[in-house]
Amino acid sequence: MRYVFSNLGQGLRRNLSMHLAVILTLFVSLALVGAGVLVKRQADAAAEQWGNELQITAFLCREDDPVKRCLGAVDSAQKAAITKVVKNNPEVASFYFESQETAYQKAQKLFDPKLFQGDQPVLTPADFRESIWITLKNPDQFQGITSAVLGLDGVSSVKDQRDVVQPILSGMRVMQVASLGVAVFLVVAALMLVANTIRLAAFARRKEIAIMRLVGASGLYISLPFLLEALFTAIVGVALAGGALAAGMWFGVHDRLRDYIGFIPWIGLDDFLVALVIIAIVGPVVTLLPTLLLTRKYIKV
Amino acid sequence: MIRFERVVKTYPGSTAPALDGVSVDVEKGEFVFLVGASGSGKSTALRLVLREARASSGRVYVAGKEINRLAGWKVPRLRRQIGTVFQDFRLLPSKTVAENVAFALEVIGTPRREIKRVVPGTLDLVGLSGLGDRMPEELSGGEQQRVAIARAFVNRPMILLADEPTGNLDPATSAEIMRLLEQINGTGTTVVMATHDHGIVDLMRKRVIELDSGRVVRDEASGAYGFQH
Repeated sequence: MRYVFSNLGQGLRRNLSMHLAVILTLFVSLALVGAGVLVKRQADAAAEQWGNELQITAFLCREDDPVKRCLGAVDSAQKAAITKVVKNNPEVASFYFESQETAYQKAQKLFDPKLFQGDQPVLTPADFRESIWITLKNPDQFQGITSAVLGLDGVSSVKDQRDVVQPILSGMRVMQVASLGVAVFLVVAALMLVANTIRLAAFARRKEIAIMRLVGASGLYISLPFLLEALFTAIVGVALAGGALAAGMWFGVHDRLRDYIGFIPWIGLDDFLVALVIIAIVGPVVTLLPTLLLTRKYIKV
Repeated sequence: MIRFERVVKTYPGSTAPALDGVSVDVEKGEFVFLVGASGSGKSTALRLVLREARASSGRVYVAGKEINRLAGWKVPRLRRQIGTVFQDFRLLPSKTVAENVAFALEVIGTPRREIKRVVPGTLDLVGLSGLGDRMPEELSGGEQQRVAIARAFVNRPMILLADEPTGNLDPATSAEIMRLLEQINGTGTTVVMATHDHGIVDLMRKRVIELDSGRVVRDEASGAYGFQH
């Protein structure tokens, strides 16, 4: 074991420039993978809030609804009629109800907490409308359902939020595809760098390896220094990428975007941890996999 | 200890076999010279014993086991029972004499206390007492070969394979190395030595197996290098 660990330091120093190249490539590629994951989760969060681009929302009348067509809150008979129309419409793929309470909770995530506090809060669940979220089969076919639902009693308004949502979602999608696409190339580059590093290291240590094989060291023992080096570079790469993502989350999302753009539920610690777990898996796989394959090839026992 | 049964070894891409139907039996504790011209198959025979290569056909037994069929992961265990010495010593230049010898034990997981106990004794045995802290490059060729022999023997293997161990040494030094190998053979270790060195073979009067184009052409209990000399 002592030999293995003394070799780790020696191996890292001997091949310093190659290891730095691996670490930097890994750092950038993992940061991009993580960013892709975060953008994806951001897009999901936004879509959940407003509905995705396949969804339209029918808001139902509430008590004292300012909309003229509403004559008091929607009743259960009206709701049944609306459900029947939505269910039977050929443009509809699926739908679900959202209660006033849910709408209230969603709003709490977005708006100033002061609005919800105190004995007489500015906003209460009664200020929100019940709604039906309708998912379309085809985003271009929505006129039929829109006009059908809009004519029913108890429906306050139909909102097609796709005009607002679509550009943001498609922007996020482009970012996600771009970051993951570039990450794929960089991961391939990292794989090749790792392969090259191992070839150099195996060559630099060929005398030792030849003797180890001769005196009967096990294959695992011979490849252990290589695996540890690979693991070490992966850990450093993951740490750097994780740090970069954390900094991006903190300075970008937390300190700036959240203040400028309040109507989107921004990603938080949970999402960061998911991204971190993903890169913590991808990083070691990218370095250990070629190491395992190549040490078998170069250090054949 | 080592048995070849009709062993044929053909390397890929070559038509003539390196070994062609070799059957040989080496008993425990024997000292055997393997002689023959370059390319006669001596080194190939040693490689087969180490499972560096596999026989194309026939069987190779080492310590009672048919090693052609040995699973890959068991090969290291086989090699721990075999010490090997080469013409070019193959010492690690960055390690001291003692470290070179200890290396063979470290990499098979021998406890450090055991290594500390065994290495000085082995250096004494090969006549290198007090040189443990030297670097290999500070030693003469004969001394370097002694280090190599110490490394091969430190694990007390059952078999010692020597491939031209005197090939780089002058006659006087070669004779010393031979005395050392004989001494090791005296502890019960089977020694198989491939060599070109007529003088040594003639002097030692040990068993001689002569190979020619991969065939055994002579196997004498206490022979000389060749009839023509």
